[in-house]
Amino acid sequence: MENQLLKLTGVAKYFGEVEALRYVDLDIQSGQVVGLVGGNGAGKTTLLRLMAGVIEPTSGSVMFRNSPVAGMRERLGVVPESTGLYSRLTAWENIRYHSRMYGVPDDIAWKRVLKFAKELEITDAMSRHTKGFSRGMRQKTALIRALAHNPDILLLDEPTAGLDVTSARTVRSLVGNIRDDGGTVIYSTHHLAEAQQVCDRIIIVHNGTIRADGTPDQLLEATKKENLEDAYVFLTSDKARPRVENEKKEGKLSKWWRIFLTGKTPKITESDEDE
Amino acid sequence: MSNSLKFIKTIAKKEVIEFVRDWRTLLALVVIPLLIFPALFIALPLLLQSEAAELDALDLEIVWQGDIDDELNDMFRNESLIIAYEQLPMEISNLSDIGEDMSRLRSQDVNAIFRLVQENESWSFSVLYLSTSEASNEARERILLSLQIWESNVVNGTLVEAGLDPEITLDPVTWDGSVASADAATKGEQAGLALSLFIPMVIAIWTASSAIQPSIDMTAGERERGTLEALLCLPCTRMQLLAGKWLAVATITSAGVALQIGGLLFAITFLSAASIIGLPSISFASIMLLTGAVLIFAVMVVAFELALAMRSHSVKEAGSLLGPAILFIIFPALFTQVINLDGIESWWFCIPLVNILLAMRELLLDRIIFEHILVWIISSVFYAALAAWFAARQFKREDLVASIS
Repeated sequence: MENQLLKLTGVAKYFGEVEALRYVDLDIQSGQVVGLVGGNGAGKTTLLRLMAGVIEPTSGSVMFRNSPVAGMRERLGVVPESTGLYSRLTAWENIRYHSRMYGVPDDIAWKRVLKFAKELEITDAMSRHTKGFSRGMRQKTALIRALAHNPDILLLDEPTAGLDVTSARTVRSLVGNIRDDGGTVIYSTHHLAEAQQVCDRIIIVHNGTIRADGTPDQLLEATKKENLEDAYVFLTSDKARPRVENEKKEGKLSKWWRIFLTGKTPKITESDEDE
Repeated sequence: MSNSLKFIKTIAKKEVIEFVRDWRTLLALVVIPLLIFPALFIALPLLLQSEAAELDALDLEIVWQGDIDDELNDMFRNESLIIAYEQLPMEISNLSDIGEDMSRLRSQDVNAIFRLVQENESWSFSVLYLSTSEASNEARERILLSLQIWESNVVNGTLVEAGLDPEITLDPVTWDGSVASADAATKGEQAGLALSLFIPMVIAIWTASSAIQPSIDMTAGERERGTLEALLCLPCTRMQLLAGKWLAVATITSAGVALQIGGLLFAITFLSAASIIGLPSISFASIMLLTGAVLIFAVMVVAFELALAMRSHSVKEAGSLLGPAILFIIFPALFTQVINLDGIESWWFCIPLVNILLAMRELLLDRIIFEHILVWIISSVFYAALAAWFAARQFKREDLVASIS
């Protein structure tokens, strides 16, 4: 397909013995805003990192315009959940560092930055150190940083998490403008309502698998439910697994040392369970 | 410029700017290395000198117990000793038995007690003092110095009375001429020897210790602050990222070492102007090889520290790991100082760390031994490559990003 940007084929991801994603097939077309919706530990971030070429799939492939995504990172714009701003640098210096790495001359980057900064109402903050920035300011700066090199696709990991209502609305409005300009965005979120508001297509991720993929109407039709919340609950009714990426098996020595220092964790008895 | 070099340069530039933007870091990076040697070689001796002069000017109170000799008494007075005379205590078993004088010595009511007993033609004495008191030590020194001169006068007088020449009798074998002019080593070489005993150690320890903070900040620090994931999304390879960070840490460390050497040269020049030490004479080839040795050492140490810091999940963990790791530099550095360089076997130049330190010592003595140079260059490049490979492995680890969230 001509306007196909990202293609994931049979992608599985394991962290050690833990399965984070199970055989995912996905096509992302240009001009779409795609929502990745799921709870904590569903696999959204792992999926985004695979799409960003930061980690490699255990099996399967992630292709960007028919080339492995790892070699096409200059065409992507990524805003990780942590935003990743350097506090000793100003907002502009943070953005300039990244745009230089993408090979964008400073004057061109500055023009693009100004355009988005006006849209996000943070023009005055460009010369300030990001140390004292609020979560909203950080998120907006990271968004501008990801857009400064004019990427073909924008990957956003929970861009409105922790933002106040006004900032979240500004971010959503920017995503809408990008879509109107023909841009492509992958938008990970916990909130179904937000996804419904922003996205053309919603992918529900649960326990490392894709449970549903389509427009909101298609999801309602497929689940025979009256609203998306009911559809989501229906699709994710099995118990959610704990977040897997951070889990590391405790070594015997570490375990012995922990117990030696602080004692054993009390066992859960039958009466505890009854309570 | 190739893309790869551009990436490395951009990363390194940003890292250095970010690191030195904090004025406290800059202070630690510039002022401490620059002032440490002038402080050690110039300020400390000046302070010691002024303290000694202050002590010299003091009038010290002593008690003289037992027999009195007028000549010795005059000598004591010339040494600014204020003397109180007492009878020798009865209850003591020998002259060094402090007895009841303990309390006034410990309370420093007197600085020292001098006891003297004449038996026919000979004398017995002791000086009671408090070794933990500067004034008491000084009083003892003045007493002993006067005693030495007095004893010499007594001996000389006895010899003259017996019709003997004291000089020929007491010192029949003498060195002819000046001791210094009998040394075939030039002043510059002697200075090189003196410097070779501590410069390699200082460079090694400073390089290793000054690389710790930037290494942690640029790896575990990035991980902890959540900036690493955004960095890994950039269109550069992890090797380019490692190279950029390595270049930044090496630049910061080299700046520290260069400033420290600058401070050292200033101190040496100052001391040589006062004829305390000569300027070391080192050939251009030795200087170039010395620079090369420091560079290889920096490659190895910085790569190793970056790798260890990258393995850590937090700044705290990295600090706990790299802090004690400095001992792996200090011990070989101390060990190397006692190795005899004359006729040293070539295999010594294969031992990690020791080889570079020995190489630096030899080069400061301006000894260019091709076999040794070949061995330390090959082995050091091998160890540096090994450290770089280890660092590369750490930077390629997948859990680097997987464990961020």
